[in-house]
Amino acid sequence: MATDDCLHNNSLMISGTRAAYIHIPFCRRRCYYCDFPVAVVGDGGGRLNREQAMRRYAESLCREIVLTAREFPATGLDTVFFGGGTPSLLPIEALDAILATLDRSFAITENAEISIEIDPGTFDLAQLKSYQQLGINRYSLGVQAFQDDLLAQIGRTHRYDDINRAIAQLRQAGIDNFSLDLISGLPNQTLAQWENTLENALRVSPPHLSCYDLIIEAGTAFERQAEAGKLPLPPEETAADMYRLTQQRLTQAGYEHYEISNYALPGYQCRHNRVYWENQPYYGFGMGATSFLGGKRVTRPRTRREYYAWVETLNHRENDLNRVWERDPHDQLLETLMLGLRLQQGVNLDAIAQQFGSDKAKRIIDVLTPYRQQNWVDLAPQNGQQWGRLRLSDPEGLLVSNTILTQLFHAFTEEMR
Amino acid sequence: MTNVPVSRFRNFSIIAHIDHGKSTLADQFLRWTDTVKEREMKQQFLDNMELERERGITIKLQAARMNYTAKDGETYVLNLIDTPGHVDFSYEVSRSLVACEGALLVVDASQGVEAQTLANIYLALEQDLEIIPVLNKVDLPGAEPEKVLEEIEEAIGLDCSNAIMASAKMGKGIDEILEAIVNLVPSPADTTEEPLRGLIFDSYYDLYRGVIVYFRVVDGKVKVGDRIRLMASKKEYEVDEIGILSPTKVAAEELHAGEVGYLVASIKAIEDARVGDTITLANQPANSPLPGYKEAKPMVFCGLFPSSTDDYSDLRDGLDKLKLNDSALSYEPETSSAMGFGFRCGFLGLLHMEIVQERLEREYDLDLVVTAPSVIYRVMLNDGEIIEIDNPSQLPPPQKLEVVEEPYIHLEVITPEEYVGGLMELCQARRGDFKDMKYFTPTRTTLIYELPLAEVVTDFFDQMKSRSRGYASMEYNFIGYRPNDLVKLDIMVNQESVDSLAMIVHRDKAFSVGKSLVEKLKELIPRQQFKIPIQASIGNRIIASAHIPPLRKDVLAKCYGGDISRKKKLLQKQAKGKKRMKAIGTVDVPQEAFMAVLKLDQ
Repeated sequence: MATDDCLHNNSLMISGTRAAYIHIPFCRRRCYYCDFPVAVVGDGGGRLNREQAMRRYAESLCREIVLTAREFPATGLDTVFFGGGTPSLLPIEALDAILATLDRSFAITENAEISIEIDPGTFDLAQLKSYQQLGINRYSLGVQAFQDDLLAQIGRTHRYDDINRAIAQLRQAGIDNFSLDLISGLPNQTLAQWENTLENALRVSPPHLSCYDLIIEAGTAFERQAEAGKLPLPPEETAADMYRLTQQRLTQAGYEHYEISNYALPGYQCRHNRVYWENQPYYGFGMGATSFLGGKRVTRPRTRREYYAWVETLNHRENDLNRVWERDPHDQLLETLMLGLRLQQGVNLDAIAQQFGSDKAKRIIDVLTPYRQQNWVDLAPQNGQQWGRLRLSDPEGLLVSNTILTQLFHAFTEEMR
Repeated sequence: MTNVPVSRFRNFSIIAHIDHGKSTLADQFLRWTDTVKEREMKQQFLDNMELERERGITIKLQAARMNYTAKDGETYVLNLIDTPGHVDFSYEVSRSLVACEGALLVVDASQGVEAQTLANIYLALEQDLEIIPVLNKVDLPGAEPEKVLEEIEEAIGLDCSNAIMASAKMGKGIDEILEAIVNLVPSPADTTEEPLRGLIFDSYYDLYRGVIVYFRVVDGKVKVGDRIRLMASKKEYEVDEIGILSPTKVAAEELHAGEVGYLVASIKAIEDARVGDTITLANQPANSPLPGYKEAKPMVFCGLFPSSTDDYSDLRDGLDKLKLNDSALSYEPETSSAMGFGFRCGFLGLLHMEIVQERLEREYDLDLVVTAPSVIYRVMLNDGEIIEIDNPSQLPPPQKLEVVEEPYIHLEVITPEEYVGGLMELCQARRGDFKDMKYFTPTRTTLIYELPLAEVVTDFFDQMKSRSRGYASMEYNFIGYRPNDLVKLDIMVNQESVDSLAMIVHRDKAFSVGKSLVEKLKELIPRQQFKIPIQASIGNRIIASAHIPPLRKDVLAKCYGGDISRKKKLLQKQAKGKKRMKAIGTVDVPQEAFMAVLKLDQ
């Protein structure tokens, strides 16, 4: 029976899902570059109201987790990631409830990586200790810059002193698995300032660093300023030099440049994020969160009200998740390339040849030949393998990765016709 | 079908400017005479091409036969023959007018007479048609019927004392118009006993039945089984089916002088039964065809190239199929070093060109790269040979040229008086020779110029509209060739000459056109990983240059779980944009760049 086959496939695929993303949307204010689904709760009075709103949100989250687990059971989560928003604004009991629900529903494995994004100025030592007791073992600190004027210009609420305090508290709590988030290419930022940011970060010796080249997203304050010609972004050449400097400094300091924007000391890569780049399935919970289950990516509503309503419908209808979508191999190929080429390890063309056909591997090599001649793409032979491993060169190939990917998308879309 | 004597036939058409309400009025007639049942009524029944509905203009003509019981108690047969409403199709308009004895002149009571209407009314007057003036939309707040009537009288010299005040939308004045048609439009001459002469005023190709001919029996009669001859194409066929348009086809046994209908005769190509051709009987032919037949002569040319070379044969098939239905379209293979294999296509005018492009993209799912429109230049070489050139890149080098001639048009622009200055400036900038300026009311003016067609096929129409806030209208006709000091402007992208960007310009304008063209191309060609020089030259002399700075960074820093679909869409969109680009050497040049000449700020 077709239905039985479906269910069978379904459970096979779902049992492979070992990662969960939890979105905590609350923020004290929206940063000027941010287009994430956030709920601004302010930092004035009304603490009780705020906490009530957060508890209400956590309840819906838990409900979503429980209802999803009924449809899509799993045999253990290896990674859990609390992202935001500002998850460190969430009351500890709420976080506890969510983790307990996850564990009951999917079983969090013993060596699971449990990450949380925390912002300087939103937590204290006691809170970190509570996180540790809950089993949270990886911390991502939203630093962005070390210069007060830059921090103010991008709409952050914290300052230099807050960063230092936050790092001291992490140390005091005995936390050694943490990451710093930094942004280059900010308005008015000079190459010297970025170098200073990198120096500051390296002094702390975080085992992991995420260094993002600023993206001007649609609907942000920065976009409006840019359109009005009032956003003094550094010249493109300077932003490219910042990227090169990052690569140079951090690899010299012993970090692996394992993804376009991510650096880690050996053994400290973010396991959760690798799930995305290796095109593996993942759960997604909370407003605006995306899940990738049964071959389908589903994004939840981006406002609280709509999200609450959506969760209610999970109970009594066949929801969007409730379908196994045989993914088009063409789409799968494009996603594999788009994600895999972000990684230092690149894409294994033999695996591509096996999954999608050797004509595809050959086509990829043909399309990328001009880029190989420019040393933006590297094809490394692999022992005992026919095709080898394809990756973008660091930093020049990565710097123009969209151009290269567009070429691949173009080639395969034409082929589809 | 009712049996009505020829004396109670009335054949008429409607002359109106776009948007003045012709289609709405036609719909009202169909409703009023119960020709189409209310529930079958689609709005604007006569325009049945999707594209036409969208643009609200009639391109292909249609006809409708209606039975109308007049106030005198008699039943009349009214044949409405629709006309296309655009300057590119004036020949088709003239043929449908010839098939009538009368015409309604419909003028929007707030807009007044437009150039187009005027041109068509002159065509109708030449054919001695009875003209019934109708003011439409008189119920609208901006209506100024008195002023507009004065305008009609002044501009056309038509007596407007009996003009009908109507609102097609509200159904006002419809009965008055129908009565006027019955009382004023003459009945066709009863020449049923003479040898058959039928005038083709439209034809289209049906996949299953071959060409469907729409025609008016001028003399004699025709029935199923008759062997007919088309006097211009000299082809003969046996009539399989004959009938009337009501407005859908209703088969009949016979059609006689004065009637309007359709005919099916296994005709394979529309070229064999072109508009204006005369149908007669093979065994009893008429002495002479009906006058006025003209070969379709394309005036505007452009290159059409598939953006993907694999689609070449699809493009050829698409053009072949459109040609079945469009005898004015011409095309022949063109090979461009920049664009690869494609076709050089000829059109009646700019609208015709746009329609063909859109239909190819829409109905045949093709992605096209189109080059800027051009005209036919007549070139005398210094060895005395005369050649015609429809593609600027083919202009021989200057040392071989004796004289280059270009087509000129007579242009009439009707405009409210306050825009005269701006429009004269425009005509002047487009190398126009001022001929005359006429006021037919104190506030409305006709400007008459003669100017090179090449200056009009670019963005002239858009410029005219923007300089007059949309109020001016224009009409032109070809008047002949004139010599000018014309030179070829070559464009080089990254040191490679791009034949599809070459253009022929007047020497006096070459410098400014070259300068703005390289600047425009700089905006339109996306940055690549290297610096790209763009140059304009006449012969070997570079007259303008610019360069596109290289792309230094094209990376998306963040790509996590929620970003993947979005990022994929972005890349797909960029890949799709690439599809519409042509690689000139190592530079990707987008479709818009080939039309850049239309967007110069001159």
